[in-house]
Amino acid sequence: MGINPIEYHPWKGERTAQNLRLYVIARSVFRHKVRSTGVIIFMVLGFLLVHTLNMLLFVLVPHERLENSDMSSYLANGTFAIFAMLLAAVVTSDLISEDLASSSFVLYFSRALKVRDYLAGKTAGALLVMSLMCAIPPVVVAFVSIATQSGNDYSYSLGVLGKTVLVGALVTVFFVPFGLMISSFTKRKSYAAVGTFMSFFVLYIVAGIFSEFDKAWRIISPIDSLSILFNWLYEGDVPSYVDEGALVAIVASLIIVPAAVVYFRLTRQVVGK
Amino acid sequence: MAGDMTAGKGTASGVNPIHVSARDVAVSFGPVMALDGFTADIPRGIVGLLGPNGAGKSTFIKASLGLLTLDKGSISVGGLDSQTQSLLIRDSIGYMPEHDCLIPSVNAVELVSYLGMISGMASLDAMQRSHEMLDFVGIGEERYRPIKSYSTGMKQKVKLAQTIVHDPKLLFLDEPTSGMDPQGREELLGLVKKMASSEKTIIVSSHILQDVERICDYAVIINNGKLVRSGEMKTLLAGEEGVRSLTVRGPAAALSGYVRALEQICQIIDKRDEVGEQITFLVRGCEDGKKVFRLAAENGVQVRSLHPERLDLEEVFLRAFRGGGRDGH
Repeated sequence: MGINPIEYHPWKGERTAQNLRLYVIARSVFRHKVRSTGVIIFMVLGFLLVHTLNMLLFVLVPHERLENSDMSSYLANGTFAIFAMLLAAVVTSDLISEDLASSSFVLYFSRALKVRDYLAGKTAGALLVMSLMCAIPPVVVAFVSIATQSGNDYSYSLGVLGKTVLVGALVTVFFVPFGLMISSFTKRKSYAAVGTFMSFFVLYIVAGIFSEFDKAWRIISPIDSLSILFNWLYEGDVPSYVDEGALVAIVASLIIVPAAVVYFRLTRQVVGK
Repeated sequence: MAGDMTAGKGTASGVNPIHVSARDVAVSFGPVMALDGFTADIPRGIVGLLGPNGAGKSTFIKASLGLLTLDKGSISVGGLDSQTQSLLIRDSIGYMPEHDCLIPSVNAVELVSYLGMISGMASLDAMQRSHEMLDFVGIGEERYRPIKSYSTGMKQKVKLAQTIVHDPKLLFLDEPTSGMDPQGREELLGLVKKMASSEKTIIVSSHILQDVERICDYAVIINNGKLVRSGEMKTLLAGEEGVRSLTVRGPAAALSGYVRALEQICQIIDKRDEVGEQITFLVRGCEDGKKVFRLAAENGVQVRSLHPERLDLEEVFLRAFRGGGRDGH
């Protein structure tokens, strides 16, 4: 403590608005994740295997404009969704499980922070990281393709670029709520990561088994449903055995239901009931 | 800020304005009533919140933070309602939980500054203030090590640093010295006293009655979700007026005679026989000490001490649980 004891001094600064504090959590998550080895590995693999190869292909192969079919074969072939799923499993695994394990919820909620803001902060941080792999690179690839196109039909190409923005945003958002839900079920981040991956893998297997009898079952696999959805967005049609309403419902429910579950679980955790 | 945490509403014992006020508060967890008609006024200063495990202390703290929905009643913290203005309350309080709650993978500077920012401090402010508070609680260069490598005492100090980083007006310290060695306890209690000198209200929930007795100005005793007793520490520790403690020593037969004689001149409230040769009485109505000494000489016993009754907090606590003590004392 030194020769002269250190005294307590009041703080005289200004407080930020309560509704802005979720950005502190988002920024912390983002900074922590972009330094994480697991996230870096998946990012590098994803960039190389999914985006870089396709970008080289788009640059090297002469093209008059950016085609829907090119982007569809790039983003709807399943590889992109699988990498997004793996990255989401790694990114979301410790977001809630670590707070559960260390009982640190009380440090957050004894402050002027709502469960909603806590979750929004964690989700926003995860989405920022996911967007580095899922939203930004496809847009960059599309831009590069437009920049190297030989024709002048830029309005068509920009239309495809707009769809690419939508697809990137959808993939970024799609896996995060599910990952957060699994993370809220366990205190170990390894269980959360494996749990997220296995949940999607099991759905994929189940869809594979039942699609032997009825191909419509394919849509319960998140990977397949995303691929079908992207094809629909780019090319405007879905396979005849797929009901569009059911497809949208499956995709929406895989986002909304986990988000609701994690919210209610945390609300109960906070009050200790 | 809409609410003013410095605004008191009244006085308790005519000394300090009330900071936290609970009125007929009931909180239940299923069939269990954690708080059952709890009513108390907590003034400014260092206040001890005492009670056995499961008495309702932590529930009261959580309810004051607005983390629990009240079944009935109300809690006011600095004039703000805990149910409708909980975020304003939480902006002005610091809470040091009893259990381990620190994130083990980060270091103390990262954690304290992060929590400072969540409390509304700008990034630079939070970093500077976290270093100041870690200096204040006595965490040196270890602040750059992951928290998982800290001893219990260091973790308690980091918990205290995160509690005060945003300079709250009201602190809830739940078992602050839990698991600490005597030197660590001494340091932590010293820090609490230092903080109190900067006009903070500090509510200390503790099982260690000596700690509470040493640092608190006021105590609230709670059991089964109800207020058992509350008051200024000096009032609680002062014995009942007119009651004296008398210790006499002598042969057993002489002591018996002395007791009979003493009963003629005063009321014996309590008698504690110590190995048959010494008795300690609590007596009322023995204002004339000369009579006591004369009776002792007549009966062949020796008066070892005669003084007004003095209590320690443990005795106050035990009497409160025995049903209010003598005459409500």
